[in-house]
Amino acid sequence: MKKTRLIDCNLFRLLCFVIIPLAVLVIFALKPKSYVTGIIITMGIYIVLCASQNLINGFSGMFSMGHAAFMAIGAYISAFFTLSTNVKQSMTPGLPQWLINTQIPFGFALIIGGLAAAIVAVIIGFPVCRTKGHYLSVVTLALVVVVKAVIDNQSDLTNGSRGIAGVPAKSNIVTVYICVVITLFVMYRLLRSAYGRGLIAMRDDPVAAQTLGINLVTKKISCFAISAFFAGVGGGLWGHYLTTISSSNFYFMKSFDIVEISIIGGMFSMSGAIVGSALFTILPEFLAPLEGGLRLGGIKLPTMFGLSNIIMAVILILLIIFRRQGLMGTNEVVLDTWFSKETYLSLFKPEEYRKLANVFRKKEKTD
Amino acid sequence: MKKFTKTVAAVLTGAMCLGLAACGSADASGAAASGTSSGNASAAASGDVIKVGAIFNVTGDQSSLDTPSQQGFELAVKQINEAGGINGRQVEATYYDGQTDTAVCASNAKKLIDNDGVLAIAGFSDSDFAYAAGAVAQEAGVPIVFSGATTPDIPDVVGNYSFMTAFGDNTCAHAAAEFLYNDLGAKTAYVLTDKSMSYTTNLSDFFMERFEELGGKVVLQDYFSSGDYDYSAQIARYQQQGGADAMFMATGPDDASTVIEQYRSAGIETPMISGDGWDTDIWSVAGDLANDNIYCCTHYSADSDSQAVKDFVASYTEEYGNAPENAFAALGFDAANVIFAAIEACGDDITTDNIRDNLENLKDLECVTGTISYSAESHVPDKTIVVTQAKDGALTFVKNV
Repeated sequence: MKKTRLIDCNLFRLLCFVIIPLAVLVIFALKPKSYVTGIIITMGIYIVLCASQNLINGFSGMFSMGHAAFMAIGAYISAFFTLSTNVKQSMTPGLPQWLINTQIPFGFALIIGGLAAAIVAVIIGFPVCRTKGHYLSVVTLALVVVVKAVIDNQSDLTNGSRGIAGVPAKSNIVTVYICVVITLFVMYRLLRSAYGRGLIAMRDDPVAAQTLGINLVTKKISCFAISAFFAGVGGGLWGHYLTTISSSNFYFMKSFDIVEISIIGGMFSMSGAIVGSALFTILPEFLAPLEGGLRLGGIKLPTMFGLSNIIMAVILILLIIFRRQGLMGTNEVVLDTWFSKETYLSLFKPEEYRKLANVFRKKEKTD
Repeated sequence: MKKFTKTVAAVLTGAMCLGLAACGSADASGAAASGTSSGNASAAASGDVIKVGAIFNVTGDQSSLDTPSQQGFELAVKQINEAGGINGRQVEATYYDGQTDTAVCASNAKKLIDNDGVLAIAGFSDSDFAYAAGAVAQEAGVPIVFSGATTPDIPDVVGNYSFMTAFGDNTCAHAAAEFLYNDLGAKTAYVLTDKSMSYTTNLSDFFMERFEELGGKVVLQDYFSSGDYDYSAQIARYQQQGGADAMFMATGPDDASTVIEQYRSAGIETPMISGDGWDTDIWSVAGDLANDNIYCCTHYSADSDSQAVKDFVASYTEEYGNAPENAFAALGFDAANVIFAAIEACGDDITTDNIRDNLENLKDLECVTGTISYSAESHVPDKTIVVTQAKDGALTFVKNV
């Protein structure tokens, strides 16, 4: 009989993926100004962005590099709905008067930002989705350039390259992690439905998928739009966290960062988004003392700024060579834990406790 | 494959453990002070060490401006500590790399305030990063002095805890207009603007405003985006237009040399002037062409007569082995001295609020880049602009405007 592994026990999963993170979140939600809270919020935003990137890169086979464009759209549009009238009057006088006078609650602004990004995705979806593979990547990169150029040149509407400072700081742990949970839940259910299966079929073999009656065009465009929606929401969260947005924030580097996280974590798994984002935000923090030049056993190491970027890049290269599916592969451990009833019910079932105890026994014991 | 994941996990864990161990033995980080100053309006100095922090973008696009700034700042810290510190207390400076990324800048500002418990922050040569980190500092009530950012409305947008060391783009562009009109006798001007940077769009707006006030006429305005390395379209339009008496080129440091090279190669001899963005290596692409009638309005000139400048150039060269690369080194140095002057004025009661008040009341501090004063209405110093001309591979002093 196969020995049960620790990771298979529902109780362990409950502890590891639900209780501990929840405790951490609650502790830091009570300390909003702390520096660690900032890290956790950034991680949450990257999870949302990376999850939407995984949907389109890993699950539908369209390798899009255009995430920064949708983030920019989401950030600016949601900011238009939450900025105070004074700021809008001085920085973006070209906006229609009704917009200048409107402020709506944060949640609605995020949704509108996301919808705007999704609408743009649908509009450009038709030409973009006719391309495949490398060409698709290049076309989406072009989208990033176009969006930046529009933002820079339409200075009445967007304050041009000056950017908009003074965006209300509405992203805190609660709002960001609510968005994280909603995004991941939607992705999880979507991928386990007929829609999701059709998407994966389309990725693996478009011709075979067509013979089974899957309409490729609608699938591609809708997938692009859903991914863009969550990218827009992520962009809105980002803008309201930094309180200043500018077109240069949403350029190639941002797109590459998200793709990097997605590949390292695992393109084919939503849990990979979580792992990748965690690595991306936490690794530089561990390496920061090393970067600034520290004293290691009496020898003062030189300042090595940029070390964490180099290490992330090396990890990326090694993973692409040796383990293309990323750290998590197709493993959906985290999401399976979060969204299945049996994890939560396992607290009340004695056989789960016995299973856990079994793991620590030397010899196998059948029940 | 499973074995591989395990090795990777092991290696990563090892790296993180190394990092943690490093955290424990790192000097100057003051991890013990973590959490105590978060949310407090006023943090007091601990014992006999004064902690200040500086964030400079030493990696990424801004590194040509910020690396000299950080070196200037470090030099100032070293000088003041050698002179006995401020009122007997040594200055301890913590430096972080902003990585030319606004999120990293904001997060580092939080780290400085929260973990390291600094009393004042300095840094940045560009408004994007100034806004991001400034928002954090303003909320925590820690004074922040921007060394190289020149956008004049930064203190208004960020708040009353922010101060600028450099002159505003408005002062700089006005000086350029006045120099062109009064000194070079230019009645018509051509303006080329980089639309993708806020610094350059601001510069040209201010230039045109003052030039037309003086009575000049802007005959043609043209645009490009940073990274367009081909200016033939703009050159063609200029030649078709018939030329002007002078040209105002609002470009960032990276495009400066390429612009000069292309315009001069096309045979355009008109004098060109720009703001402090051209205080950089403009001879890299243009070579000798850049020695022909090129002017730059900047913060200081290395061959100026002022004693402060001479001392600074001498000590910088001694410390780093080469002359200050550009004016931003001097700005970093001055930002540090501005903070030290304010801290000194606090006497023994050093708190972040007191430092802020003393900064606001700072009058006539003699610095390398001019005389700096602040007031309750203006946290932007009203300095004289130094107009320099490119000659033989260096920017030489022309006049003060």
